[in-house]
Amino acid sequence: MNDLAARGGATAQDAYRVLVVDDDPDMAGYLAHLLQREGLTVEMASDGESALVRVMTAPPDLLLLDVMMPGLSGFDVCRQLKGDESTALIPIVLVTALEDSESRVRGIEAGADDFLSKPVKREELVARVKTLRRLHETRKELESRRLAAEVQRKEAVRRAFSRYISPRLADRIADAGESGDPFQGRAQRTSLVALFADLRGFTRLTEKTEVGAVVAMLNDYFTVLTEAAYQHDGTIFNMAGDSLLVGFNVPFPQADAAERAWRTALEMVARFDPLAAEWKARHGLELGVGIGVCGGEAIIGNVGSSHYASYTIIGDPVNTAARLMQLAAGGEVLLCGPLYERVRHLIPAEQVKERGDVTLRGKSEPIPVFAVRAGAGARA
Amino acid sequence: MTAPTLTVTVAKDLADLIPVFFKNRQKELEHLRAALAASDFAQLRQLGHRMKGVGNSYGFAKVSEIGKRIEDGAKGSDTASIDGCIGEYADYLSKVQIVYE
Repeated sequence: MNDLAARGGATAQDAYRVLVVDDDPDMAGYLAHLLQREGLTVEMASDGESALVRVMTAPPDLLLLDVMMPGLSGFDVCRQLKGDESTALIPIVLVTALEDSESRVRGIEAGADDFLSKPVKREELVARVKTLRRLHETRKELESRRLAAEVQRKEAVRRAFSRYISPRLADRIADAGESGDPFQGRAQRTSLVALFADLRGFTRLTEKTEVGAVVAMLNDYFTVLTEAAYQHDGTIFNMAGDSLLVGFNVPFPQADAAERAWRTALEMVARFDPLAAEWKARHGLELGVGIGVCGGEAIIGNVGSSHYASYTIIGDPVNTAARLMQLAAGGEVLLCGPLYERVRHLIPAEQVKERGDVTLRGKSEPIPVFAVRAGAGARA
Repeated sequence: MTAPTLTVTVAKDLADLIPVFFKNRQKELEHLRAALAASDFAQLRQLGHRMKGVGNSYGFAKVSEIGKRIEDGAKGSDTASIDGCIGEYADYLSKVQIVYE
């Protein structure tokens, strides 16, 4: 195998393909012959139009392009290919019997990468192609390294964030690059919707069931709740005991955060139903999910010490959602007034029970509260 | 014209291409004559330009040289000069000998 073919070990699959474009069959045949002797795969086109079609259907690694052809000239073909993003990187060597510098300038302006003068000397042809091939392979190598690094970076981001957020959100962060990393920023005040869920009857569960079984049951329970949260792109901020805190409109804006939170609540109850039935059959325990949802201004950011910090949301809507959750019965979703107004169009009126103004523990002022029994008919 | 000028040394690996090359030169000769008869100087210029490019690439410097003169003659619509070149080209093609190395 000669030098050109040996570079990169040309095989049928990765053979370096050259398209020779010349209206003179003898010239095209001559160039093709010399390149084939170097182990390269050569295709030929006899005019500019057919060359463009060939490049579009099967882009070559290099174009040897005659300048003076009937119809589209080499300059025209070169300009078109270099002006198209998908073909701009294919190296083009203009092969010309035009000696004047004006023609060279036109070639450069058309985007040509190199020139070969007719008569074509075989040593010069081989040297030029060798150089362009080396550049081509270096560029491909750099590109594949860049892609590999990018895949690695995205995977690292996904792994880091997948504890908190849905795979879709993790992908968004990974795709946004460093500037899109929302977890590195300083704490800030923002509008959000907080959803708290916990297990009604959990205390009885821990009293009556052996520890190993409790852990397995909690894992199943958190799995269904997490899946429901991720289905609507909620972000999980806390998981403790049997309670789960999910935020919406954080860390990414979600114009329909209230609707997402409501649908998540319904989904959690729906997904938990079969699990509750199974537990009842197996352990004789009646358990249900109680959910509180509230929206408003809160703080989001890393809170803690230099030794331990957690990315979390704190503030009135979070506290209110927690208190509502404590009041909710199994299978019930309690909504604060302003949030209910944003999602009432999704809830059949007969499923809503207005609790009136309720003074929640730790709050000085009563707030309007709405209760919804989350059954199959309530699902929007 | 002396014999050495009509003997051309061509690289051995081009041997397979030479019969087609000469067949095309004969066709080219007919095209040149037809273009001259029609005073089609644009065609003559293009044919001359093509000869200039291909001749020397295969090792036939004379083809390139005549091609250049035809191209230049066509630019100036110089019928007599082109006619002379075509005659010279026909003579060359009938006498040229090839040695492969």
